[in-house]
Amino acid sequence: MTIRIEILKERCKGCGICIAVCQMEVLRLSGDTNEQGYAYPVVEKNESCLICGLCEMVCPDFAIWVRQEEEEAMP
Amino acid sequence: MNRDRFHPDHPFLYADFFPTVWCAGCGIGTVVHSFIEALKASDITPRETGVVSGMGCSRKISECLKLPSFSVSDGRVVDFSVQYGLEHPTHQVVAFLNNADFLLTGAEDFLQLRNSGHRLTIIYINNFIFNTAGDDGFPMTPYRRKSFDGSADLPFNIPLLASSVGAEYIARWTPLRAGWIKNALMEAFQKKGTAVIEIISPCLVYDSESRRILDAAERMQFYDGRTVIQNFSPLNKLDLREGKKIVLGTFVDSAPGEDKR
Ligand code: SF4
Ligand code: SF4
Ligand code: SF4
Repeated sequence: MTIRIEILKERCKGCGICIAVCQMEVLRLSGDTNEQGYAYPVVEKNESCLICGLCEMVCPDFAIWVRQEEEEAMP
Repeated sequence: MNRDRFHPDHPFLYADFFPTVWCAGCGIGTVVHSFIEALKASDITPRETGVVSGMGCSRKISECLKLPSFSVSDGRVVDFSVQYGLEHPTHQVVAFLNNADFLLTGAEDFLQLRNSGHRLTIIYINNFIFNTAGDDGFPMTPYRRKSFDGSADLPFNIPLLASSVGAEYIARWTPLRAGWIKNALMEAFQKKGTAVIEIISPCLVYDSESRRILDAAERMQFYDGRTVIQNFSPLNKLDLREGKKIVLGTFVDSAPGEDKR
């Protein structure tokens, strides 16, 4: 079982709400910026994610989502 | 790899709308997100909806959704939604209103609902601001705070106003409680009459002008720290003023389901 946190960095506006709502401190703001000039979140501690979906739910820009995958599911 | 890089809500959104026009961290985006989640979780056919929005920042809501959606002129949102609902009785009509659509130019439309029992879900995004002219007061400008510089009067009590036009479902949430907005919408979709959901989503521009808060996440937490959830609290106690907790929750529900908080 793997947890995949997908971040579309070109959509992100670096508001940091996803980072603020995450209780497990999975995400942090990257030092890098996307082409709009916003810092975007990156996954720091993937393994501590609870798949609660809070970060996905609060993102106003539809830039982050979480999913769970079986290890062998990918063809 | 690329095949997976679609947001779960991708089918509902125009891809070329991104990045959105809203300011970084504006609650409007979260409200749209919650709306889509609620739509997916309830058994509404996406074709059988009508999304209506008016002027200003919330206008863009109807432009980003791949649903039957309409941007109408300032203040005609409720009027249009009612007529659309009468013409399409099976459709779930959802009106996204901002301050001006709801209380300024749109106020008389809203008051015309007067217990008519139209099936309509109103999402009122209250950002405490009416800011085109800068210094005019507005029904929701906070007491002694600024549209730019100070309202001498207390803001409206929206849940009380909504109940006086006969809303069957009234709730109030903040964008940080996106899950509750989704729940509230799903409950509102069950109703046969009007549902009003107020979202306290203060405008970032206003906040940065008054230099109280620095960024979106801090602002969200600032407001969330000042809220308290009290379901079914008396409607006349729900006004918003400085130094008083903002009461969140479901205030009126004509037919409460089993899963009541
Ligand atoms: S799903 Fe929950 S635990 Fe995982 S990153 Fe998002 S907010 Fe954090
Ligand atoms: S909530 Fe969305 S837009 Fe804001 S920083 Fe996180 S991914 Fe970016
Ligand atoms: S923060 Fe204010 S100005 Fe920016 S999109 Fe939201 S409501 Fe509009």
